[in-house]
Amino acid sequence: MQLVDRIEKRRFVGRELLLWLWFESEVFDGTRTTKDHGDVGLWLVRELSLSSGKEVTRIQGAAPALGRDAKEALLAGKLPERASFKVSMGEREAELTIKAETLGLSGVRLPTVLDDGDAPAPGELGSTAPTRARRRRTTVEEDADRERDEAALAFQERMSLAREIESLLEGLYAEFLALRLSPRWGSAVVPAMRTWASGGRVDAARYLRAQGPGARGGRGA
Amino acid sequence: MSATRGSLTYARFFVRGDAPEVPPARALRAVHLHAFRPLVPDEEQKESVGWCRFGEAFDLQPGQDDVFVDEFVNLGLRVDRWAVPGALLRARLRDAEAELLAQKGRERLTRAEKKELKEQVSRRLRHELPPRTRAFDVSWAPGSGVVRLFTQAAGPALALGELFKRTFKLELVAESPYTLSARLGMSAAREAAWADAEPTTLLEEAR
Repeated sequence: MQLVDRIEKRRFVGRELLLWLWFESEVFDGTRTTKDHGDVGLWLVRELSLSSGKEVTRIQGAAPALGRDAKEALLAGKLPERASFKVSMGEREAELTIKAETLGLSGVRLPTVLDDGDAPAPGELGSTAPTRARRRRTTVEEDADRERDEAALAFQERMSLAREIESLLEGLYAEFLALRLSPRWGSAVVPAMRTWASGGRVDAARYLRAQGPGARGGRGA
Repeated sequence: MSATRGSLTYARFFVRGDAPEVPPARALRAVHLHAFRPLVPDEEQKESVGWCRFGEAFDLQPGQDDVFVDEFVNLGLRVDRWAVPGALLRARLRDAEAELLAQKGRERLTRAEKKELKEQVSRRLRHELPPRTRAFDVSWAPGSGVVRLFTQAAGPALALGELFKRTFKLELVAESPYTLSARLGMSAAREAAWADAEPTTLLEEAR
């Protein structure tokens, strides 16, 4: 099979990844432990789109997944095509939207960096930017050099944070894939998802036990 | 779309095959060779795609310090396209048709005449209106083979793949569930399970 065919035929797996992240974020109350990133908070926020063919359900709000609409869409055969998550790792929090079929990231808000947008203007209290009086003493070339250095630094910081998020998602994907391609997916995960989507309670400990000992690298509450 | 301001939106691509070494001088020459070239109103070309400076759509000769930032190769993907508003084109075409009919003393133009007239009017408008300019930040990390394109639109992604191949002789593959799985490594057993996997549904009737 050609690479392009393999890519196209497996795009649905991205939807299942979002479904699994959503499901487990509710079962484990938004907290999970990963092998490489330790304790991580992950829960749905802002936007959730589910679809099946041309039928789309879009839900927006602070907790879009908690209403019945979202679960009813699942029971009607729809799966998530894009979902926004809040991620917390240690002191840091970020928000991002994942597009299922391409695993593309959008609206990635990196608070550490984006706070710069609210930074005081030059001359305001708390500003570290040069005041107008000081600026007069710099040449145009110096200003340009400084701007370039600042932009490079900001870029590097943003890329470092983006890579951290990518690495977390790749770790979660690896965990998901191990489960998805094992018999436990059909025997334990899908039945638990059906119970959850129908409004039933899924016992986190029992759900983990149903997957067998050592089935998961380290996760859940 | 910007990599340096606001929230980040991007698509990832991976260089197919082994990550190559990228000698800066050679890479920069290749970038300059494939730098963006503005559209010319009298030429047939409707779209132009080429490199510009990262974050600066109108700087078409980025220097080494602009392009090589730590382990990244940063570039701007500029895409210009003639975009004459339909209403304006129709209005100008109506006037031109009326003028030509009066000149020829006829009531109708042939299909070929109409086609030629539309081309002439379009060309005249292209002299009056600037093309639509879009630029997207692109950041390539040659060590890991990842290219980040700071938009998720399909058009720029296609343009990037073609331009990247022409410039660096390297093929890009867009990220997807399959490519990520392949990068993570698949055993023969998993490959087999993967080949047999059917989409999951929670549809009530499917129970």
